[in-house]
Amino acid sequence: MGAARQRRRQTRAAYLLLAPGLTLFVVFRVYPLLEGLRLSFTNARLGRATAAFVGLDNYARLLADTRFHVSLVNTAFYAVASTVPILLLPLLLALALNRGALRTLLRSVFFFPFTLSVVTVGLAWLWLLDPVVGPFNYYLRALGVPTRSWLADPQTAMWAIIATTVWWVTGYYLVVYLAGLQDIPRELYEAAALDGAGGARSFVAITLPLLRPVLLFVVVTHVIGSFQLFGQVFVLTGGGPGDATRTVVQHLFETAFQNFFQFGLASAMAWVLFAVILVFSLVQFRLLRGHTEY
Amino acid sequence: MRRRSRAHLVTGRVVLTAALLALAAIWLLPIVWVVVTSLKTTEHIVQLPPEWIPWPATASHYAEVLVSSSRTARIGRAFINSLVIALGTVAVVLLTSAMAAYALARLRFPGRGLVFAMLVGSLMVPSAVVLVPQYVLTQRLGWLSTYQGLIFPEAATSFAFGVFLLRQFFVTMPADLEDAARIDGANVWQVFTRIMLPLSQPVLAALAIFTFRAAWNDFLWPLIAVNKPEMFPLPVALALLRSAYSSESYGPIMAGAALSAVPLLVVFVVANRRIVEGVRISGLKG
Repeated sequence: MGAARQRRRQTRAAYLLLAPGLTLFVVFRVYPLLEGLRLSFTNARLGRATAAFVGLDNYARLLADTRFHVSLVNTAFYAVASTVPILLLPLLLALALNRGALRTLLRSVFFFPFTLSVVTVGLAWLWLLDPVVGPFNYYLRALGVPTRSWLADPQTAMWAIIATTVWWVTGYYLVVYLAGLQDIPRELYEAAALDGAGGARSFVAITLPLLRPVLLFVVVTHVIGSFQLFGQVFVLTGGGPGDATRTVVQHLFETAFQNFFQFGLASAMAWVLFAVILVFSLVQFRLLRGHTEY
Repeated sequence: MRRRSRAHLVTGRVVLTAALLALAAIWLLPIVWVVVTSLKTTEHIVQLPPEWIPWPATASHYAEVLVSSSRTARIGRAFINSLVIALGTVAVVLLTSAMAAYALARLRFPGRGLVFAMLVGSLMVPSAVVLVPQYVLTQRLGWLSTYQGLIFPEAATSFAFGVFLLRQFFVTMPADLEDAARIDGANVWQVFTRIMLPLSQPVLAALAIFTFRAAWNDFLWPLIAVNKPEMFPLPVALALLRSAYSSESYGPIMAGAALSAVPLLVVFVVANRRIVEGVRISGLKG
């Protein structure tokens, strides 16, 4: 068989294999992404037969929309404030679990909340944190700690949402870290021990640098996720009190589907959000990538 | 001296394990609280101090949300909707991404690098960004409040990740078996279905679990793409349960929450290892 003919056959087979998936992907991902960009320059609304081109009007409206600014600030605050516990707690747990007994059992326990839907998680915590009859405040009172209505207090509402999220996703990142730790060759630690390096020294010299790609993955995944914060807020606070926990996706959702169905304006929000996420991710790549060479 | 440091080490380890066990117990408390509440009678739910043993126990909240509630979408129906949607999504994702990943891992063709780069790049695009146009599209197709209107957008979201995961696995497989089969006259499709797929069962299982979890738990898209109560999947039905009952009793809400956790709990207990392996493969070899 000629080489050219075989190459042609392989190309045809490849395109046939790709066709169903790529069709799905182009129709429901690529097209909506570009269509969203187009909509953001129009005054499209649900039910409006023709949408007119309005240039940058929607973006200009966002510059003046103080609720959008508040939601952007809230979302960024959440993304930054939750990164530290979400980076550290699973890492500490992974280090403790990596060599210890009962690893499988403990890993499973911490992972379990991650199998729940955001609504289930939100409902559980709503009930735990109930200011009057919830157990959390009851035990705090029993310990003599001053309590408050955590979700209804603008000072603490976002922190309650962060705590809920930490409980929800810690197990996932724990498994990611554990996988990363397992991939570090044991001999490195043995060699370091022979050279007289203690636990702390080999953590700084071996574990951290070799874990760098994992840390990068965790941070970027978490930040992309944080900027889409919606479910926890929808269930726990509805964006309140006031606008203390209003997020970008919630604002987008309300603009597009509850408040006159302003699709053009909501699409502009989506693209601003996209740009913010891209900038954050790129900065993190720059900061964490460094030179990881094995 | 030597012996003392060893004793030290053992003590340290025991203390660490005890601390971890304590933390794990605390970690489970919210879930225990949900289940305990769902089994209590309405008067006992609001008792202080909190009662951790549901006595007298009752199944009435479960009966209420599963079959008899007239105020919201019934959880029983929502449970079935979620199963159909999640299993449908898994089927579509497994089929499309296995085929695409095989082509990208094993066949040479023009545009291969571009397709792969596009798919990986799309992993960075948040779903919230395509929400509005996806709604417009689904509406034009007449797919609002239908299973396909939930399955296909959901599958498209997981497709790129599936391709990425499976390709990572396919490229590491030795080529000998395929070469042997091809010499025996098998064509690309036969090599794919008879050799690649059977050998990939662990990673396909992992992808199936991830996809099932994502589809079972997705909230935002069904919240806007479904407006008939009988088509609500579980998360949407649960969120509405909250507004329907929260002023009277947490019992039915917690019963619904507990029910929603069951399928993934089962999957998780049965396939614990697969999940960990899957995280590991997808993790970070890229």
